[in-house]
Amino acid sequence: MKNIKHYAFPSSVADAMSILMNRKYKAIIMAGGTLVGKTIPASAETYLDIRSLPIRDIKVKGGKLVIGAGVTFDEIDNSEVCKEWAEGMLSQVAAQCSSQLIRNMATLGGNIARPHSFNMFPVVLLGMNAEVMIETKDGKLLMPYADLLKESNLKPGENCIITEILFPKKTKDMHFEFIKLAKTKSSWESYVTLFFSNDKKNPKFVIGALSPRPFCAEEAEKAYAKNKPAEEIINKFQEAVSAKAKGYRAEAAVNLFKRYLGAE
Amino acid sequence: MKNEEIIHADEDGFFTIALNVNGELGHMIVSRNETLVEALRHYGWKGTKKGCDTGDCGSCTVLFNNKPVLGCMMPAVAAHGGNITTIEGLGTVRNPHPIQQAFVEAGAVQCGFCIPGMILSTKALLDKNPEPSEADIRKALDGNLCRCTGYVTQVQAVRIAAKKVKAMKKQQEKLAAKELAAEKRKAARKTAKKAAKKNK
Repeated sequence: MKNIKHYAFPSSVADAMSILMNRKYKAIIMAGGTLVGKTIPASAETYLDIRSLPIRDIKVKGGKLVIGAGVTFDEIDNSEVCKEWAEGMLSQVAAQCSSQLIRNMATLGGNIARPHSFNMFPVVLLGMNAEVMIETKDGKLLMPYADLLKESNLKPGENCIITEILFPKKTKDMHFEFIKLAKTKSSWESYVTLFFSNDKKNPKFVIGALSPRPFCAEEAEKAYAKNKPAEEIINKFQEAVSAKAKGYRAEAAVNLFKRYLGAE
Repeated sequence: MKNEEIIHADEDGFFTIALNVNGELGHMIVSRNETLVEALRHYGWKGTKKGCDTGDCGSCTVLFNNKPVLGCMMPAVAAHGGNITTIEGLGTVRNPHPIQQAFVEAGAVQCGFCIPGMILSTKALLDKNPEPSEADIRKALDGNLCRCTGYVTQVQAVRIAAKKVKAMKKQQEKLAAKELAAEKRKAARKTAKKAAKKNK
């Protein structure tokens, strides 16, 4: 916090973007502050507080579930709309994040914009094929969240702002499974997070916390879609995991996957 | 961008922020390095405790716009324009809040360091949910760590507090209804007097 000279609390996304892109300010975005509050780089000179931006709605639009990036974990946990979507998966995930005090502050946008391997929603978003609405200097951009993970030019909080997260219509009635293996239920850090979708056409096996960014076990997904034997699917999953991590956490991920498939 | 939407630090790195603490509207001069808990304690609100300073223990809990938040995770300047309730805003030694009474009655206080945070988390819970289940209580307090107890007495305290707060609200409603009825009677008497005068 050493060099903070200005504190801005814009009320519109356009104003926030103009400050973010103005080199004079050297701004850093802060929403809940749970990740930024303690790790402000010395280069930042302006807090760009986005809590007043109109990005705090949870709604169903065009059949898709749209969650504003400024929505807190507590709001997702208690939202009736989220509880009805995908058998309440999003609310359940939000409820497993850290403690109530953190859930009151932390936002969905912050969880996906700030790279941290323990963050839970990146795994879920990747597994649900979610899209993100991003405000850039050239205007709005809607893109799959998976592409944002790969995209190197877009850096949320640095040169763009995530405003909304959209969940596809078909995920409304689907069943998913999210597993967080951690020391305690409310522990903010986890050994491994897993997200499974057994949609026959488009299965998703996503692994988080083992690498800086979550990843899909794509070969295992293909094998599952082709109805291959469980052993083969597990081997493919194991290969994907061991390419990214070794040790007990990788082992735990594979064992949890076996349990999910009913192979153990 | 409007000018009122941006505030600047002075040459020494201090911001002047406007906020409402325990119902008192005022200004605070806070350093850019200060967290909310540090600023509050600096200004004399020492009921808010500084514990782990990493957002894990919850002893720095305050209500920010009626939601319990961690004072150690929030830069003081980020409280600009907000409403803050600290433990001092609930009750006094002579006139404790029903939640404070409940914690004493249940024997939920040992060293007491975590209690201000627990009480404020309880206040937010009971404002939202007057009849919480044990699961609701444990969930609401899961960010307030206590190293002395096993949380059993605190859960009991919240249950007692729920009853007390309910009774307090009922009493307040009764009082308000009585006052309203008295005012109505007064107004009716006035109009009757006026009518009598007119008739004369």
